[in-house]
Amino acid sequence: MTSLRVLILEAQVPFVHGGAEILVRELAGALTARGHDAGIVSVPFRDYPKEELFAGAEAWRLLDVTQAAGRDVDLVIATKFPTYFARHPRKVLWLVHQHRAAYELCGTRFSDFSHSERDVALRRRLIDIDTRMLGECVGHFTIAKTVSERLLKYNAIQSEALYNPPKLANRLRSGPFGDYVLTVTRLEHVKRVDLAIDAFEKAATSVRLVIAGDGSARQELSEYIDRRGLRDRVTLLGRVDDDQLIELYSECLAVLFAPYQEDYGYVTLESFLSRKPVITARDSGGPLEFVTDGVNGCVCDPTPESLAAAVNQLASDPSHAAALGDRGYDVARGITWDHVVDRLVGAARAATTVGAGA
Amino acid sequence: MRSRLRPMTAGYGEASPKRDVDPGARRRILVAEARVPGVRDGAELHARSLVAELRKRGHDAERVALPFHATKSELLAQACAWRMLNLSSSNARPVDVLIATRFPTWFARHPCKIAWLMHQHRPAYELFGTPYSDFTASDDDTRLRREIIDLDSRMLGECERIVTNAQNTADRLQRFNNISARPLYHPPPLADRLRDGAYGDYVLVVARLEPLKRVDLAIRAMAHVPAPIRLVIVGDGSQRAALEREAAESGAGNRIEFAGAVWGEAVASLYADALAVIYAPFDEDYGYVTLEAFLASKPVITAADSGGPLEFVVDGTNGFVCEPDARAMAAAVGRVAADRALAERLGRAGRAVARAITWDGVIEQLLG
Repeated sequence: MTSLRVLILEAQVPFVHGGAEILVRELAGALTARGHDAGIVSVPFRDYPKEELFAGAEAWRLLDVTQAAGRDVDLVIATKFPTYFARHPRKVLWLVHQHRAAYELCGTRFSDFSHSERDVALRRRLIDIDTRMLGECVGHFTIAKTVSERLLKYNAIQSEALYNPPKLANRLRSGPFGDYVLTVTRLEHVKRVDLAIDAFEKAATSVRLVIAGDGSARQELSEYIDRRGLRDRVTLLGRVDDDQLIELYSECLAVLFAPYQEDYGYVTLESFLSRKPVITARDSGGPLEFVTDGVNGCVCDPTPESLAAAVNQLASDPSHAAALGDRGYDVARGITWDHVVDRLVGAARAATTVGAGA
Repeated sequence: MRSRLRPMTAGYGEASPKRDVDPGARRRILVAEARVPGVRDGAELHARSLVAELRKRGHDAERVALPFHATKSELLAQACAWRMLNLSSSNARPVDVLIATRFPTWFARHPCKIAWLMHQHRPAYELFGTPYSDFTASDDDTRLRREIIDLDSRMLGECERIVTNAQNTADRLQRFNNISARPLYHPPPLADRLRDGAYGDYVLVVARLEPLKRVDLAIRAMAHVPAPIRLVIVGDGSQRAALEREAAESGAGNRIEFAGAVWGEAVASLYADALAVIYAPFDEDYGYVTLEAFLASKPVITAADSGGPLEFVVDGTNGFVCEPDARAMAAAVGRVAADRALAERLGRAGRAVARAITWDGVIEQLLG
C-alpha cells in the first residue's frame, strides 16, 4: 500500500467557484506529486429549501465510491457537508465545514434556520445524522482549530487541525517595506473592511491603506471612503491577478486582516510568507491561530483606535515590522503539504493495519 | 426504490425559466454527465466539448458529473442518487436548462430538462441476450431490466425536448421506450486538429480496447493483408493483453503495433498519414472515429452490423461496408492498398459529409 488510490469528495455548487474548490484541487495535486493516484468526485449541492439538504445527503449515501475503473479505492477524503455521507471503509475526514447555517450561524442573519419548532427539529435531525456519518470516519482532521472546536462542541468529536499552505506559497517573496498597509479580502460585511477604513482616519498620515479584492459591498465601501474624505489615503483596487497580488504583498509595510470569526484565512499565511507582520483583531478567529501579539504581528481590539495604534507603531519603525515579519515567515514555513498528506494517508494506513489484524 | 423515486417532484413547482427566453439570450446551462471514475471515454469528451462550445457562444455552462458504475446491483441506487439532485437553481439563481446525456442523468430534477441522449444503459436494452450484457434471463434480472426501462421512459418523458446523438440511438429509443426523437450529430472532439496527409502504409484503429469495439476483427484481418501494410491500434482497455496475444499469434504480429492511449496531436497525425481507418464495433451508437477519419480524408472500413458508422459510411462512396468477418475486411484493405487514388477519392467524399456537421447547428437545435 505504498501508492494509494484516493478519491477526494467535493460538494459542488454549480457556477460558484471558491476557496474549497481550490483546496480540493491543491490536495489532489499534492497527493499526485507524492506518487498517489488521486481523483475528485463532485456532486452538486444546494441548501434550499432546507429539505434539499437531506436529499443531497442521501445522494452521497447512495453512491458507490469504493471502486474506480474496476479497481478498489484505498482511501476517500471527505471535505464538506454532505460528502461525509459517502460509504467507504477508509473514509478520512478533512473537514472544511458542516452545514454552518444549522450550526454556529443559526440565530445570526447568515442562517435560514429560525427558532420555529420545525426548524429546531430539522436542525437537530441534521446534527444527529451528521454526528453518525462523521463518526464513521477512520480519521478526523479539520482545516483549522475553529472548525475543530465546532466539531467538538456540536458533534462531540475530537479532531486535529491540519493546516495547508496557501496556493501562492511557492511564489510569494519579500521586498522593501513600503508606505502602505495591505488588506486582501472579499468585500463582504463579515470581512469588516469598514473597520480598517475607520482605522486609517486615525492613523499617521504618511501611510496609506490598499484594499485588494471585490465583492457585493464594493460600491458601498467606495462611497464610505468618499464620505470620510479618505480618497487619497485609502485605495480600492478591486480584483487583482496573482502577479499583482504577489507584488502587493512583497512591498507593503504590513497586512491588516481583521475579519469577524474567520475559519482559516489564507491571508495570514500569505502575508507571513512575504515576511510581513499581520495586524488582526482578537475576535478574528482563524488568524489568531498564527498571529502572536508582539512576536509576528499585532492582535488589537476590534476598534479603529486600537488598529490605528498598531499601524502607527509599525510605520514609525519599519525594522520592527521586518523583525515581526521574519518570525511570521518561520511559522508559515512549517505548514506543508507533506504534513497534510502524511497525516491523511497515515490515518487510512492505520485503519487498514487494524483491519488486517482483526 | 421505486416509492422513493415517485414523490421527488420538488423543483417542478418553481417557475419554469424556459418561458419568455429569447433564443439568443445568454443562459445558465448545466450539462449532466455520468462518469466512470478513471476512464476517459466518448461520453466525457462529448460533455466537455458541449460545455466548451456553449461557453464560446456566450452561455454560462458547467458540467455536473456523478460517478457511475455499470454493476447491475448499483444501477437503481445511482439512478436514485441523480433523482435526489434538484438542479433547478444554484446559489439562489435559476439554472435555465439542464442537458442530460446518458443513463441515469435524466433522473435529475429540473423544470427544463433537455435530453441529448448518448445511450441508455445498454446491457439492459439491446445488448441483453448478447455476450456484452451481464443481465441474464433470471426473474430478478428480468424485473430489474423492466424497471430500468420503465423508469427511463418516465424520466425521459419529463424532458422538454429529446434528441439523440445518432439515428441508431433514436431507433432504440423508439423500440424500447416508445419515444420519438431525431438524431443531432456533432463534430468529434478532434475536429479542429484533423487534416489530411500522405496515404501511408498503415491502416488505423482507434478504439477503447473493450469487447464491443471488436478490435480482434482488424487483428485477424491482418493475416490476409499483404505486407508491407501495417495495422496501428490506438487505445487501451481491459482487453489489451488478450489482443496483444492474439496479434502475436496471428502470423502478422510484426505488422501490428499497439500505440496505447494517445491523445490530441499524436492521434491527429496518425489519422493524417493513414491509408484507411478500420472501425467495426458491434452496434455502436455514434462513434467519433467515423467522422474523425473523414475529417482526415480517410476512407472508413466498417461492418454491416456496426450501427452508428452506417449512418455516414456508404459502401464504395466514402468507404466500405463489409460483413463482420476478417477476410472481408482484409479484402477492403487490399483494395485501397492497391489503389491509393481510390483511397483518396473515398476519403475526400467522406470529408464533405463530416464537414457539414457543425457546433453552430447543434447548439441552435439543442436550445431551440
